[in-house]
Amino acid sequence: MKRFIKTAILGACCLTLSVSAVASEEGLKDFNNREVINAKYTKGAIPSDPNNKLWEGIKGKEVSLYPQISVRLNDKKANSLIPKKELKKATVKVAYNDKEIAVYIRWKDNTPSVQPVYDTDKFADGVSVEFPTEFGKGKTLPYIGMGDENHPVVVYLQKVVAGKDYQKSFISEGFGSLTEIKEPVQIEMKYNNNSKEWVAVVKRPLETDNTDLKAGLVPIAFAVWDGDQYERDGNKSLSRWKFIKLDKYPLDKEYLSYLSWGYPLGKIGDPVRGKKLAVQNGCAGCHRFDDQQTAPLGMAPDLSNIGGIANPVYLKESIVNPNDVVIRNLNLNRHYNKYAKPDKFNAYPNNDMYQWYIVVNGKKQSKMPPFALNEKDLKDLVSYLSTLKDWKNFK
Amino acid sequence: MAKRQLAMVMDLNKCIGCQTCTVACKTQWTNRNGREYMYWNNVETQPGTGYPRNWMESGGGFDKDGNLKDGIIPDMVLDYGVPWDYNHDELFGKAEDNILRPNTDPVWGPNWDEDVGEGDWPNSYFFYLPRICNHCSNPGCLAACPREAIFKREQDGIVLVDLERCQGYRYCIAGCPYKKIYFNPKISKSEKCIFCFPRIEKGLPPACAHQCVGRIRFVGFLDDEDSQVYKLVHKYKVALPLRPDFGTQPNVYYVPPVLSPPKFDEEGKPVEGGRIPMEFLEKLFGKEVHQAAETLLKEMEKRQKGEPSELMDILIAYSHADMFRLDENYYQEIAAKQGLKGTEYFKLIDERYIQGKHTPKSEGIYGVKYFATQPAKEENGEGH
Repeated sequence: MKRFIKTAILGACCLTLSVSAVASEEGLKDFNNREVINAKYTKGAIPSDPNNKLWEGIKGKEVSLYPQISVRLNDKKANSLIPKKELKKATVKVAYNDKEIAVYIRWKDNTPSVQPVYDTDKFADGVSVEFPTEFGKGKTLPYIGMGDENHPVVVYLQKVVAGKDYQKSFISEGFGSLTEIKEPVQIEMKYNNNSKEWVAVVKRPLETDNTDLKAGLVPIAFAVWDGDQYERDGNKSLSRWKFIKLDKYPLDKEYLSYLSWGYPLGKIGDPVRGKKLAVQNGCAGCHRFDDQQTAPLGMAPDLSNIGGIANPVYLKESIVNPNDVVIRNLNLNRHYNKYAKPDKFNAYPNNDMYQWYIVVNGKKQSKMPPFALNEKDLKDLVSYLSTLKDWKNFK
Repeated sequence: MAKRQLAMVMDLNKCIGCQTCTVACKTQWTNRNGREYMYWNNVETQPGTGYPRNWMESGGGFDKDGNLKDGIIPDMVLDYGVPWDYNHDELFGKAEDNILRPNTDPVWGPNWDEDVGEGDWPNSYFFYLPRICNHCSNPGCLAACPREAIFKREQDGIVLVDLERCQGYRYCIAGCPYKKIYFNPKISKSEKCIFCFPRIEKGLPPACAHQCVGRIRFVGFLDDEDSQVYKLVHKYKVALPLRPDFGTQPNVYYVPPVLSPPKFDEEGKPVEGGRIPMEFLEKLFGKEVHQAAETLLKEMEKRQKGEPSELMDILIAYSHADMFRLDENYYQEIAAKQGLKGTEYFKLIDERYIQGKHTPKSEGIYGVKYFATQPAKEENGEGH
């Protein structure tokens, strides 16, 4: 019976998807302008040196990186700096040949920080990119924060650590699940003292054991760390999903119209009505956003800057079908239940209230119920959520 | 949650601050590979700043509702203090031309305020507080780790860092209210007191407890009613956790220093009662300290009258065999159950709670699968 209901809900969701699958001309244009990075094809070898001339001939795309506040970590000093942070902008470029693809990322950082060999409280600047392991027609977008159980991502990371080349590849299914893997990736990261910018190039084969990027439109997301701001791990600035356009490979029209749902950004509905809907539907019971700051801290992801880091189609899916992107909690032991009976060694059990999912037949299910909104409501709500780009109220 | 829990009791009335435990620990574990600055075991003077400096005011632990609190990460130079050396070589044969000087300008170090304490002569007071990781029942470090790299062993409640999963983010240091987990900058990972588990699994107590010349340390399982640890903690309730208000349920317990010398009045005559203020002891050990003090003094009086007192006999610490009950067979049984034999027995220590389904599993000789979390490979010079 339960399964039947679930199928029915999924069916309803699919219906919504197909109704809204037709993107307007204006929407596509806005999507291209904002989210698509045109990769440059080159016949020759691609150098991983960020200062190589090749990069001068490629047009860059500006990408906004927002402070991560969806989950809150427990470093007092780092947290105190978050509300004062500025929006970061990075310039990204992509080049590819028949075998390899390289991503160039340049961003401003007035204070280059190298993690020293002998200190306890200094942190490194760094950069990372992530790719979904699967994407394309019929595949939904992963959670931006390092994927989710249904959507693993590969992550390439470079940090500036004295005495070693701190470069790692991971596979991940959400917070805490990052597992190191071997990938044939090369990363070079250099600081330009004149322009006060970091420049990095991440180069890899188009195809590896975990991902095949030979497609017309490849999702990619970026993150940078500022060591001076005590940034490391989830304490960072991140982009929303961007899409690399590789002209050599066929572009799937259906995938494009799926990804471009919700554009022109913030203009598909009425954000004012959307806010009313958010309040009426009880979003603020679990989430904090905008002026709705009463939900218990850690009850659900903070949505205050969700419009910066989530794509409209992701927002839509997480409302109509939250089970597709179940977000793994940050360590469940952060909240224990002081009102439960402790065990014989005085250990209290975890407080289930703060767990974002339940496990049914070994599969995680979101505690957030699906909201079967009509198309107008959905568009208004997503329009509203897309306007949320603030972190000044972070506590 | 652990099925069993190892615990240590330290009798503060007998600690003489000789640091033999500190040295035992340092030579065993922390004199190399980026751990040089760490003291997994330290002995500090209380009242005092402690080690690292002002650790009691550095945050972490849980609030009264059970939510993890924010904390800070101490600075290596200003809060822990870096080891320094002297120019002895320059002095040999040239003592007239040189003076003894440290190789760096020391600004802080462990025990910078040793023996300072509080109060004015003749009523000044202090006591020594030896500290290791508390292997808490609800560890703050474990809760804080976004990688879930810290785990509590089911078989004995020892809290360990899985160095394969640790990425050196250091939220554990902020989360531990006792600041007993440390960042190793050389390997860029966190490390901490391991309760000498390789010794424990062989039936030996941790080095700090074994070497203690004052014989102040008792080690055993908290559910073993014949252990002296059980008797001190549960039967007589004279051994209390440090700063229980931090909310992590520590498993190192202290017999509070209630048998301090008397105060003197203005005419120099001794006054009833110990010199260390009970309010201070209450801050450290909670309200239970009053009941513990009463029991201790009552039992002591009994013994002074020549009457028998099991509690006093335990605290006299006649024999190591009674002070430490570790039951090595217990560990060998667990190993056998998992199908581990011979050198594979040591893989037992790596049988850890791990999340990632991508973590490789290996097959034991009896076909039992276990996580291979510490492959022999050493990458990027991050060996340990």
